[in-house]
Amino acid sequence: MKKVILVADDSPSIRKFVSFALAMKGFEIISVSDGMEALEKLPTKKVNLVITDLNMPNLDGFELIKAIRNNEEMKNIPIIILSSLAGSDEIQKGMEFGANSYLIKPFDPKRVVYEVSKYLN
Amino acid sequence: MKKVNNMSDLFERLNDLKVVFFYGQKFIPIIQSIIDFMSETVPLLEDINTSISDSTNKIPKAKDQIDNVTNATELATTEILDTVDLISAEIEKIENELKTIQTKEEERKMVWEQIRVVLNQNSNSAGLIERYETIESISIIIPRLLIVFSKTKNDVNNIALSLQVQDITSQQLASVNHLIESVRQRLASLVMHLDESDIKDIESIQTIIPDTAAFNPDAIYTKSREKQEAADILVNNRLNKTSQDEIDKLFS
Repeated sequence: MKKVILVADDSPSIRKFVSFALAMKGFEIISVSDGMEALEKLPTKKVNLVITDLNMPNLDGFELIKAIRNNEEMKNIPIIILSSLAGSDEIQKGMEFGANSYLIKPFDPKRVVYEVSKYLN
Repeated sequence: MKKVNNMSDLFERLNDLKVVFFYGQKFIPIIQSIIDFMSETVPLLEDINTSISDSTNKIPKAKDQIDNVTNATELATTEILDTVDLISAEIEKIENELKTIQTKEEERKMVWEQIRVVLNQNSNSAGLIERYETIESISIIIPRLLIVFSKTKNDVNNIALSLQVQDITSQQLASVNHLIESVRQRLASLVMHLDESDIKDIESIQTIIPDTAAFNPDAIYTKSREKQEAADILVNNRLNKTSQDEIDKLFS
């Protein structure tokens, strides 16, 4: 059975790009455009990993991570942040909120595959 | 008012009056020039007001145009990525086919060895065997092709990587739009309150991006791995409680 990855990013091209990198490796991808949509989607499917941007409308990445970590059923899902925010404050905040990895845009697709494989293989 | 008692007081008052007239005569041209200045300035102020009003009205159009550019590049990028996706899938398919042929080629070689033993018994076939064996074998060509496909796949990945520039520029454009909107709001308030407005107010245009913004104004497109490496060190040292000094040094 394919492992399911939820990708939350308001940029359609980034969603496409992440899907492009991961679908080839046999993962099933669910794409959403903000944190709110991610929270609506998460309970409807068994998601194995979340990749999220930080700057998003409606509900940003930090709030999404917080919501996942505070949910009993989803709190153990590995979370990878994928953001153009590259300051130490954001990285520390992201990790404190409970992210497992932090990737900076523009990113190498091989690195995304590597990070995902770390948690799913 | 002081009462005039005698002629000398009267002359004194007349003298005062004369001084007033004297200064009055001097002031009249100044007052006249103030009136002239104001009659020239009022239409100028009206022009400025109209001009600000025009600019304010045009700003939403500029903002829309930037949005259109973002949408168009986003659409084009997505289409290119779709094509890149298809190309990658095709390459993958060809690679798999070649690997299958490679496996079959090993089998074919084994069968050929047996055929050769049989054919060697016939002296006429020696020339044919020699000729057949000098033809370049698929088993030599396929690994070369696989190297080419691997390189092509890498190039396709690099195209996709470069297309991330669209996401970065769209964030920068969103930031410009935010600034444009701030300028429009200030100009609009200037038009409304031009009479009492202090021109210094223009300095209070909001250049600070709110935390809730869905874009990063500092997003940059770079292929340098420095930032990711710094982030990796920070993430890896997180549990070891890296000191703030070390972190600041890393990101300075």
